[in-house]
Amino acid sequence: MFAKILIANRGEIAVRVLRACRELGVKTVAVYSTDDADSAVVRMADESVRIGPAPARQSYLNVAAVIEAARITGADAIHPGYGFLSEDADFAEVCEAEGITFIGPPPEVMAQLGDKTSARAAMTAAGLPLLPGSVEPLADAESAKRLADDIGYPVIIKAAAGGGGRGMSIVEDEADFVRTYQQTKATALQLFGDGRVYVERYLPSARHVEIQVLCDTHGNAVHLGERDCSVQRRHQKLVEETPAPGLPHELTERMGAAAVRGALATGYVGAGTFEFLVDTENNFYFMEVNCRIQVEHPVTEMVTGVDLIAEQLRVAAGERLVLRQEDVRTDGAAIECRVNVEDPKRDFAPAPGRLEEFVPPGGPFVRVDTHGFAGYKVPASYDSLLAKVITWAPDRPQAIARMRRALAEFRVTGPGVHTTCEFLDQVLADPEFADGKHDTSLVAKLLQS
Amino acid sequence: MTHRLPRAVHSSNGHSGFSDQEAPAEHPDVESVLQVVQRAAADLLAKSPQPPSTLNVRVGDVAVEMGWNTPAAPAPAPAAAPAIVNNITPVAPAEPAGPTLNAATVGTFYRSPSPGAPPFVSEGDEVGPGQQIAIIEAMKLMLPVEAERGGRIAEVLVSDGEGVEFGQPLFRLAVADTELAA
Repeated sequence: MFAKILIANRGEIAVRVLRACRELGVKTVAVYSTDDADSAVVRMADESVRIGPAPARQSYLNVAAVIEAARITGADAIHPGYGFLSEDADFAEVCEAEGITFIGPPPEVMAQLGDKTSARAAMTAAGLPLLPGSVEPLADAESAKRLADDIGYPVIIKAAAGGGGRGMSIVEDEADFVRTYQQTKATALQLFGDGRVYVERYLPSARHVEIQVLCDTHGNAVHLGERDCSVQRRHQKLVEETPAPGLPHELTERMGAAAVRGALATGYVGAGTFEFLVDTENNFYFMEVNCRIQVEHPVTEMVTGVDLIAEQLRVAAGERLVLRQEDVRTDGAAIECRVNVEDPKRDFAPAPGRLEEFVPPGGPFVRVDTHGFAGYKVPASYDSLLAKVITWAPDRPQAIARMRRALAEFRVTGPGVHTTCEFLDQVLADPEFADGKHDTSLVAKLLQS
Repeated sequence: MTHRLPRAVHSSNGHSGFSDQEAPAEHPDVESVLQVVQRAAADLLAKSPQPPSTLNVRVGDVAVEMGWNTPAAPAPAPAAAPAIVNNITPVAPAEPAGPTLNAATVGTFYRSPSPGAPPFVSEGDEVGPGQQIAIIEAMKLMLPVEAERGGRIAEVLVSDGEGVEFGQPLFRLAVADTELAA
């Protein structure tokens, strides 16, 4: 096991990673920007290094600064969390060159899977089902349109270097294709520095179901079940749960097996998530692989009893997976709500500020992953996730009831501060959600009413 | 504040997912591209009213960026730091009195141009604005530390070869006579 790990992230995930390190006896180094000088992870870490001013580009995305901080403190591994440098193959390569272990898949695997076009090609070769779409890079608007015509509308155009719901456009009408194609390319270039896009059939009402995999460096891979992340606003997840409501167990087992096949075929190492879409006939299609730990990993931990971050650390340290597929058991149901510092009444505008009161919920089978505390000044410079509330119960209705009880207890106040707790409760109270019959259009429908 | 080469494609430092662009039919060789970039960078440097504190050159998608730090406020002293926190900056009980010259980047601080050579500056020396006073090494690059303002070095706050963090005070300047209370 590593002696010292540098946590190249911030907010709640930095605290999460720190806790896993603590439990494994690993020393921790927090890196932070000037805006995060008083953050929870900095208070908790054994050492901390200020690496730059507030803008992420000069701090959390600043490869040289992060590497230097690792060198100076003698960290032997870096955990990148999610977002920031976690899916940056260049960064993973630099770590390797500097003799620092990057906790994640090898750079070439990350590069292959991070490029959505080559990921699609790799998964096609591994025999996974995919939605009709391009597996080769698109040469130009004309050939892209021919492909789209073949696939049949509506289609979705997505940035090959994208992810997280950004840089995607839906084309309902053939007449709009070329213009949307060009616009999406321009957006992709601006957002990701890479204007390549791919085209895929679009499923207007589908469930987003993802599979958690764990792979070691000895050729072993297991899946830890699925998560349903269909409650989304503008492609950003709000509520995640496991098991996926209403999906037959044999279907999720097949999806798990497919994910393991895909992981083994590409030489994946560490914790990864295979995203699928499930249509109204319970067909599943590969979407993308996320080569990092995910925000919603706690729901899997709650039903399996597996500490995913600890497993990441062990795998990265070269240990064999102790878990075999037959050891993986899921029990009960778990739900996670992302509490953001946003004002739903103002179209979810960020509402940062100083937290006067911060009283997270507690009680049986309630978990809160957060970096918040009373007196904390939520900076405006980063994303608005303040806390994840996770509940477990023997079944889904009880998990929902427990979550509603927990959200009602959660007190967050401060001048100008708003959170999305009330809106989340509305989602949980929605009859479609309660029945597990919702899909990715649920939030949009709720907001329109 | 940053100044960019006109028409250069903006490239964020450490941005994810760069793969080979659709290669144009004609691809100028790297050497000539580098020469153009170097000339342009030198040109920008010559034209800028103040020497930049950082200069980033990236050849993939060609970008040249220069940055000027606004004089940084002295780093806030950690308030009553708990005993378990072991920052690499010495936890100073009070702020240094005079203005400080601070690190613009994380890295290793060197007082001399090379090992064994005399230091750039010592306590008591007068420095002019823009004068090189140290080196910070980051990712094997030796980045010059230049005085953002002139003055007399009252104290050297960091030892040779010590790791420094962003914004960490490196030198304390003597309070200028004109700033002393009457």
